[in-house]
Amino acid sequence: MKNLGLTYTTSIDKRPTLKARLKTLGRGKKHTRTVRALNDVNIDVHYGTVLGIIGSNGAGKSSLMRVISGIVPPTQGRVEVYGSVSTLLALGVGFNPAMTGRDNVYLGGLAAGMSREEIDKNFDAIAAFSELGDAIDTPMRTYSSGMFARLAFSVAAVVEPDILIIDEALSTGDAKFKEKSLNRIKELRTSDRALILVSHALATIEDICNEVVWLDRGKLMARGKPAEVIAAYREFVDARKSASSDEDV
Amino acid sequence: MEKPVVVYEPFRAGLPPMREYLRSLWARRTFIAAFSRSELREQNFDSLFGQLWLVLNPLLLSGVYFLLIDVIGGKSDSSRFAHLTASLFLFYLIANSLSGGVKAITSGQRLILNTSFPRIMLPISAAVVALFRFLPTLVVFLGIHTLLSLPFSWQMFWAFPVALIAIVMSLGMAILISCINVYFRDISSMLPYLTRSLLYLSPILYEAANMSHRIKKFEVANPIFYLLDSWSRVMVHGQAPTAAGLLYSSLWALGIFIVGTYFFLSRERDFAVRL
Repeated sequence: MKNLGLTYTTSIDKRPTLKARLKTLGRGKKHTRTVRALNDVNIDVHYGTVLGIIGSNGAGKSSLMRVISGIVPPTQGRVEVYGSVSTLLALGVGFNPAMTGRDNVYLGGLAAGMSREEIDKNFDAIAAFSELGDAIDTPMRTYSSGMFARLAFSVAAVVEPDILIIDEALSTGDAKFKEKSLNRIKELRTSDRALILVSHALATIEDICNEVVWLDRGKLMARGKPAEVIAAYREFVDARKSASSDEDV
Repeated sequence: MEKPVVVYEPFRAGLPPMREYLRSLWARRTFIAAFSRSELREQNFDSLFGQLWLVLNPLLLSGVYFLLIDVIGGKSDSSRFAHLTASLFLFYLIANSLSGGVKAITSGQRLILNTSFPRIMLPISAAVVALFRFLPTLVVFLGIHTLLSLPFSWQMFWAFPVALIAIVMSLGMAILISCINVYFRDISSMLPYLTRSLLYLSPILYEAANMSHRIKKFEVANPIFYLLDSWSRVMVHGQAPTAAGLLYSSLWALGIFIVGTYFFLSRERDFAVRL
């Protein structure tokens, strides 16, 4: 990522309507606002790296993931991606609750960019990882949230891409599932793969990653060894907390 | 092995690199099919009663209109019922594309925010669903045509190009309205009024041949008027469509498709931050 920047215009109203536009026509009311989500970010991620991205809400973590994944184009700089990318930014993307777990494995896999042959090849592994048993052939609307999360994670985690991008996907499911998915991510840490992990769980980041990047308001604040960057981030957050509590006094 | 390289850079307003875009769209064709199939399954299309309802709904509607206009109105003619049915079935292809397309992008929010893919896939999928819902009604219409002893002729093969124009038009409409709805979400609430107006302004409850020339000249502004007229001529009367009918309907279909696709493609990179 070289000099990466992302500035976008979005609507102020959550649900922009033609009616609201027509009602305020000629009154000079603003309907859009400009957001600077990323500002001059430079990061190199090599194979063998497990990069953790930390930062407060609104720091630009998810925006950065979306730019790397090609979901949102940058407005400044450039991103060069070498190798196949699999993104796990949310669980169960493309799933249809009316369909069975089996059908959704295909639907979710195809949505993630896999071919039908790849899904066929990996289906047994996905089904086994999800531990759903016979429930894989029942409609997903009958699943508990844990079952849903297990199947959704299995679809994304069984693929072995060159680059895997995970955004907060580990925060779903029960404790057993969290541990299982964490172990799977640890298995994926190989010298011929790069992993980028976004999480608020600093202990997990410190445990899994060999490098950490700290973002704040779209800017790269620090990059380096997990323990050092996390310590600096904690210090920053604590300082901000005490500053705000002083203001309250 | 050499790793594939993808570069993401700022873009200027306008179309994305088309060759790359079309290649990516083609590579995702299996997903379009699977996504459309899942939508159809959600609408119970895979069950007998689900399919029956698709046919029964426009059939009942045409029965009601036939009762109102022809039986109560005093004129009873078997070709009028066939005209009503054939036109309503094709009208439903357009209306279903519009109603499926209008929410294609906004309801695909999770996909758009979390996966990189050509966004046009979603309205295409809505148009594919509408097409699959249209196909069984064709079989029903041919049954009605036979029961009413209406003429079959070689001219009925004109149905293929006319249906192709209808498909291009419904695809263009789905693409255009899906994009507009991202910026103005109340378009979906206005859609029933729009489709109802189209229903009354198009030659469905009446035949184009029975209209006065003074009124008919304004119908050039109705995108589906000549399409439905051509369809009725071919399917009900077994006649070839008029050259003007084919020309106007083709121009409207291509115009909506080109404008809709251009508008969509030049805006789609904006969708992830607008949803």
